[in-house]
Formats: sequence, structure tokens, C-alpha cells
Amino acid sequence: MAHQTLELIQGILYGNGLRVGRLSPTGRVFATLMGQHGDTVPFMGPQIHDHAMTVARVPARKYYWEAELLVNVQIAVERWYGFDTYTIIPDAYNFEVEALGAKFIYSDNAMPTVDTNEPLIKEPGDLDKIGPLDPSKGRIPMAVEVARLSCEKASGPFAMGFFCSPFSLLCQAMGYPKAVRALRRERAFAQELFEWAENQAIFPFLKAQSEQPGVKQSSGADAWAAFPNLTPEMVDEWVVPSAMRLRERGKKELGLTVMAGLAAADYCEEDPAKFDKQIMFKCWAIARKLFIMDVALSAMGRTQDWPMEWLQEFAVANGKGRRKLPVYASLNGRFMRDSTPEQIVDKIRQWIDILGRDGRLLFFIANVPADTPPAHIHTAVHAVHTLGRYPIAGDLSTIEIAPPVFQPFDEWLKGQPEADVIFKAREAGAAPRTFTG
Amino acid sequence: MPEEKYQAIVDAIVQGEDEEAPRLIQQALEAGLPPLDVLQQGVVAGILKTGDLWAANEYFLPDVILAAEAFKAAMKPLEPHLKESQARQYGKKFVIGVVEGDVHDLGKGLVAAMLSSAGFEVIDLGINVPPDRFIGAVKEHQPAIVGLGAYMTTTMLQMKGVIAELERQGLRHKVKVMVGGAPTSQEFADEVGADAWGKDALDAMHKALLLIGA
Repeated sequence: MAHQTLELIQGILYGNGLRVGRLSPTGRVFATLMGQHGDTVPFMGPQIHDHAMTVARVPARKYYWEAELLVNVQIAVERWYGFDTYTIIPDAYNFEVEALGAKFIYSDNAMPTVDTNEPLIKEPGDLDKIGPLDPSKGRIPMAVEVARLSCEKASGPFAMGFFCSPFSLLCQAMGYPKAVRALRRERAFAQELFEWAENQAIFPFLKAQSEQPGVKQSSGADAWAAFPNLTPEMVDEWVVPSAMRLRERGKKELGLTVMAGLAAADYCEEDPAKFDKQIMFKCWAIARKLFIMDVALSAMGRTQDWPMEWLQEFAVANGKGRRKLPVYASLNGRFMRDSTPEQIVDKIRQWIDILGRDGRLLFFIANVPADTPPAHIHTAVHAVHTLGRYPIAGDLSTIEIAPPVFQPFDEWLKGQPEADVIFKAREAGAAPRTFTG
Repeated sequence: MPEEKYQAIVDAIVQGEDEEAPRLIQQALEAGLPPLDVLQQGVVAGILKTGDLWAANEYFLPDVILAAEAFKAAMKPLEPHLKESQARQYGKKFVIGVVEGDVHDLGKGLVAAMLSSAGFEVIDLGINVPPDRFIGAVKEHQPAIVGLGAYMTTTMLQMKGVIAELERQGLRHKVKVMVGGAPTSQEFADEVGADAWGKDALDAMHKALLLIGA
């Protein structure tokens, strides 16, 4: 802990002009978030569970069931790539509804997936029959162990537990069309649904996490509440108050920092011709209410086609003092998979030019697709750390980014702390998993 | 006045009134309006107007979902009359399904609704469809197009297997292949050898019509 505290202090001092010593990756992030900038632009660990499983070549039926394997795989793969923080998340949308008895499909190559064709909630009366969640059921014990291990092994302010946020949980429990219909047409029922999700499904899960040593915070993904799945107005009306209720209850009753609604109002319009500055600004404004840190946030959207000047304008307009909001610039997962390394470098060069010159820029990838070539990720991390070195070069086009040289994962893994767990998992294969809650 | 009845159906679809829409269809049929006109000037006009509002950034996914639900509800009383009158506009079949291991059917449902409104006979294989069911459906129905959907970056890789099996069985040249779903892209469609990629339901419908030369 002392080490982390020193990193934090050094990061804050460095970011505020006292540039002494060599920054750790964590210090680099603190310098960016709490000061102007660090030594270079940081690259945050992305959501990477499917991709990490593919890189580590471990069977899905073990990986998504065994906390130690999942945590070790994600830590190893993220360290291999050289990200500045770890993000450790399994299939975060599934655990609560699975434990409550929803029907799931399990496969050899992919994460478990809920079958909303046979939904857990078919009619209002079902709410009285389902729950409260029993933390000994389904994969909840594994999820709680993931939270504990994440906080133990990854440590620091970015280590946390996870849960599925209320609106996304409702989509998992009854299907998106019925959930959105309730919000639009059956307001009293929608209120009951949110109360059920918060108190019967999520809170017992949070309580189980809070009882683990070291787990001080938990974040709830909410991609189903991204735009245009929900309008910014719907997120403001339903998702934000729900997140605030969970935050308040978590703090008061569990001493846990609860961040629900992450990725809600994330601007995910796919058609560049429909990009709308006014709606984007609304979405970013709502995301600020939900994120525990005050940032200008991009995540899963088709960011490769965004006019990034808009995000910069938003960050500057909403900054405090003379500093803009920190900007999370997220490279789209499909862009990372489908582009050439040269295209990826060009995009990073463009974004650093627009967003990075005045500091407060962090790179991110919302969800790395399973089959993304590892060379693309290595290239991106290398490019961000090279082009993002402060002071930013006047003409970034003069900086050549050579293809990074990296050891193949298996070679690199030998001798790493995670090697035994990963190699053994490959040898052991996986027994069929068939339970449904 | 028929125009008023058609406009009421259009409004019900656009507003996503899934109880009102089938009631209005029933009334129109009982009033003796031709089923094909009810389909084209009421139901299809409604879903196309919804698509226009979506394209103009005036409608968002919740609105489209409610409209699609109203469309599906409206089609229930209309379908038997359409079958009787052999009313399908193009007479082309479209086999659609979500690949094995994947059970996300939201996008697939929207695409099926749009294709249906555009005059395709849609054979919906549902979700979690293994390759041999796609192959069997292509042999049985001889569709103009087969559409493969996936929602996860892991399951979308199944599409390669389905297309390879179509090749292996000598069926590939007889059918166009479209792919779609959140993790897919034009680049991915090119990589797996699909004929088209549907970015969203409206785009899928337009591309399907292009593929059959309509």
C-alpha cells in the first residue's frame, strides 16, 4: 500500500509540474487524471476477456468458471501488451441472472450467454417469485473470488469488483424489447423492475463482494443503456437515479464505492452520416454523472470516424480552472481488429494531435474482439507511448513508428508468475458445464 | 375512406401501438380492403416511415423496437390473407438465423421484419443455429439469400464455417450470403467471403434488395 501511495503522490506532483524521477505506469495515470500530464500518454487496460482467452489458448469452460485462471490470464495478457493499468472483467452481464435461474447457453469457445428467448421475467408477477439472489448459487462464488483476486493481484485504485447494472440486468432477464417497452409504456412496472434489480439481484452480490478483503469498490457495466439503445433523456430519467440509489446504499450499508451505469449513454451511433454533435454532448454530459471520476468519456462507439475536435471542445468547455476534463479516448474494438497497423498508428497520431497537446489524455479500448491480431494491440500501445511522449512533438508525422518487436505470448509467459496456472489449464482441458443456476 | 384506414395503420406502426395496429388491420380486412393494399399502403408504409425517422435521427432504437413489435403484431391477422393472394412482391426467399453458440435475436428480428416488409419470404431459423441447419434450409428452400447473424466476437467466427460448408457442398454459387451483427464489419464480411454486410436492419434490407437486383 505504501508503494501505491508513493506512486499516487509522485503522479500528482509530476502532473502538476514537479517532474522528478521515473513514473510508474500507475503514476502516469494519476499524473494525467489529477494533473496536466505524465511522461507520456497512458494506455488503460481494456475489457479484454474474450481476446485474452484466445491469446492464452485456455478452454472457455474452465476460463469462465475458475477465478484464478481468469484473473491470471487477463493480468498476463495485459502485462504482455504493456498497458498502464489492469482491467479484469469476466462476462460481467451474466452472473446475477444466471444465479437467479435464467437459461444459459454454454459453449467450448465462447462466454456463457443468456437465452432471452426463454426469459427469467415474463410478466410482472414473476418479480415476486424470483430472488433475492443467493450468493452461493451459479457462478457468483467465482465472481466474488474474481473481485478478491483482482484487488489482491492487480491492486491500486483501478482494481475492483464488478456487477451488471440495473437496466442491462433487466435486458438480460426479460430481453431488451420488453425492458424498453416497460420504460416507455409501463412506468409503474418499470419502477418495480428497477427496484427488483437493485435490491433483489444486485445488492446481495455487492454485499458478498464487500465481505472480501481488499474489495473497496465495484463497477457495473451497462452497455445495454448506451445510445441509441436508450436516448440520453431515458438514461437521465431511469439509469442515473438508479445508479445514485445504488451508490448511496453501497456507501451507507456496505462501505463500498458502487459505480453503476458505466457505458450508459455511451454514444454508439454507427453511421457517420448521423453523427450529431448536440446528442453527443448530451451523452457525454450524462456519462459524467455516472463515472466516479469527472472525465470526458468515449468507449464502444465508432470512434474512428468521430470528429475528435468535438470531444476536445467538450472537455475544454467543461473543465475546471484552466484544465480541461481528462479525456478517455477509446479505440473501437472492430477498428483494432480490422485495420492495418499503419491505419492504427495514423489514428493514434491524429488523436494525440487533437486531444493530447494540452495533456489530460488517456487511451483505452472498450472491448478487444477475440480474433484481433496481437500485433495490432502491441502496435497501438507502442504508438501511444511513443507519439504521446511529452512534450508532444510539433509535427507528429515526422515520428516513425516501427513495428514493435515482441516475443510470442507462450515464449514470454515462461517464467512469468501466471505461467503455471495457464499451462496447466491447457493441459487439463475442460469438463462439460451444464448447470443453469 | 381507404386512405384514412391506411393512414391510421401507418400511424399505429410508427407509434409502436402493438394492440391498435392488429385491430386496425382486422377492421380494414373486414371492410373489404385488398390485403395487398393493406400490406403496402399501411403496414409497409408504416415500417418504412419508421426507417426514415431512424435515418433522420428523429427515432432511436426504442422507437424502432416498438414499431417493429407493432409491425409483427399487425402481420399476424394479415399473413393468412397474403398467403391466399400469393402477394409476396418479389417471390424471393431469405433464410436467416443466428449462428451456433449465440442466442441474441434482437437484430435478427429487426432484419427479418424489414425484409418481410420489403417483400421477401423470410424463413427464420431462430437462434443458436448449427451449420448443418443452415445447409439443410438452403437445400430445402433454395433461397436467394442466406443471412447469418452473431453478437459476440467469438461466435461470429462460426460464419466462416457455414460459408465454407456451403462451398464444400457446392451450394455457394447458388445463394448469396449476408452477414450482420454488432461485432461484424465490412472488413469481416470481405474476409469471410460474404456477398454483403448489413450495418443495421435498414441497411440489410437495402443490400438484400440490391443483391436480388430489385
